[in-house]
Amino acid sequence: MAKKETPAKSVNQLLIEQLMTRVATVSEMIESRGAKIFGQSNLLSIEEINDYSLEFLELFTILLQAGDHIDRRGHEFKALMQFFKNLSQQILVRGGTLDEFVRYVQFLQSVFIEMLEVDSGLTFDESRHILLLLANVFNDIVLDVFHVYLTEKESTILAQQEELRHTSTPITEIWDGVLTLPIIGTLDSSRTMIVMEKMLSRIEADRARVVVIDVTGVQAIDSQVSHHLIQMIRAVGLMGASAILTGIRPEIARAITSLNIDLSMVATRSTLSDGLKEAFRLLGVTVSAAADNR
Amino acid sequence: MQLPGMHLTSLGAGSVLLEPAEALDPSQQDDMVVPLAKSMQQMRARQLLYDLKSVAVIDKLYFEWLCRVSAICRISGVEMVVVNIRPPAAYALAVLMEKSPPFRCALNVDRARAG
Repeated sequence: MAKKETPAKSVNQLLIEQLMTRVATVSEMIESRGAKIFGQSNLLSIEEINDYSLEFLELFTILLQAGDHIDRRGHEFKALMQFFKNLSQQILVRGGTLDEFVRYVQFLQSVFIEMLEVDSGLTFDESRHILLLLANVFNDIVLDVFHVYLTEKESTILAQQEELRHTSTPITEIWDGVLTLPIIGTLDSSRTMIVMEKMLSRIEADRARVVVIDVTGVQAIDSQVSHHLIQMIRAVGLMGASAILTGIRPEIARAITSLNIDLSMVATRSTLSDGLKEAFRLLGVTVSAAADNR
Repeated sequence: MQLPGMHLTSLGAGSVLLEPAEALDPSQQDDMVVPLAKSMQQMRARQLLYDLKSVAVIDKLYFEWLCRVSAICRISGVEMVVVNIRPPAAYALAVLMEKSPPFRCALNVDRARAG
């Protein structure tokens, strides 16, 4: 009578069996290594490390139990990815680096590979399939975490750029009805929009009559920058205020003339101080030294 | 005085305030300029204050209409002053314009009348 062949076990089943027989050792290894990586730099407390280690083992086991193959679109896989995303975000928020996290993920993978070495009952083919599965899953984890890291970095850079834009154009009322707008750096379209929006709102709110635009901090001027400057000056005029352009350095003056930019409709003064004097003249204000200071 | 798409109010001393209504259609300029010039003559206007408080955005067509009113004013010996332009409208117009506008601008009616 022919012997009834038992069906071959799937890779997932083999991994679950290994995990179940050595769950205590695996859990202990993950916890101790996690403590070494994250605990020394105080990124996670021991309790958190233990909780995360248990949660990882639980989610990984659920993923393996979900079927004979890893389904990347399945809820179990998404749950595991989400777990690592949350963990990486927490570590990054607490000042950890991506290197530490990737080392931790690589370590998790190595724990399972070490289990294969211990188990001599596995055939070469079974070991190969398990290795492939582990490599695929953990590579996906690292890639996902890397995307999270990049997104976080990009949003931080964008927020910093936005902050810089807002703080780099301080509009100050230096006299009743006189606003100063120092421009530092370059004027691109998006910055012009922000500056103009702020400046026009201030003219309306402060009922300003004169705006002194100081370009001492502008390093270079091209036709686009000058075009934006002219737009700003026109917008000031439309609000019923006068614009005075100050701080045009010799290099900038040379660039303006060589670019054939017509600034004849703009009142210009060499320094901010001269611009302020011109603003006083427009307002009919006379500033004189006190008698005892003469 | 009510005209198609606008309302005129005499403020005294030759100043006339023009408040555009929502119904004002700048594409129908020809229908509006003659009644406007007539009314300014009747009111003995020397200054026309065009109030843009209710105009959120000024596009190319609306700017052409403003230039047309300005031209009519100049021919009639009336000074046109645009008042109460909103910051977003000023921004949009500054981007749109290729040269300085042919009319004076003031923050509000009081400033316009003070010159």
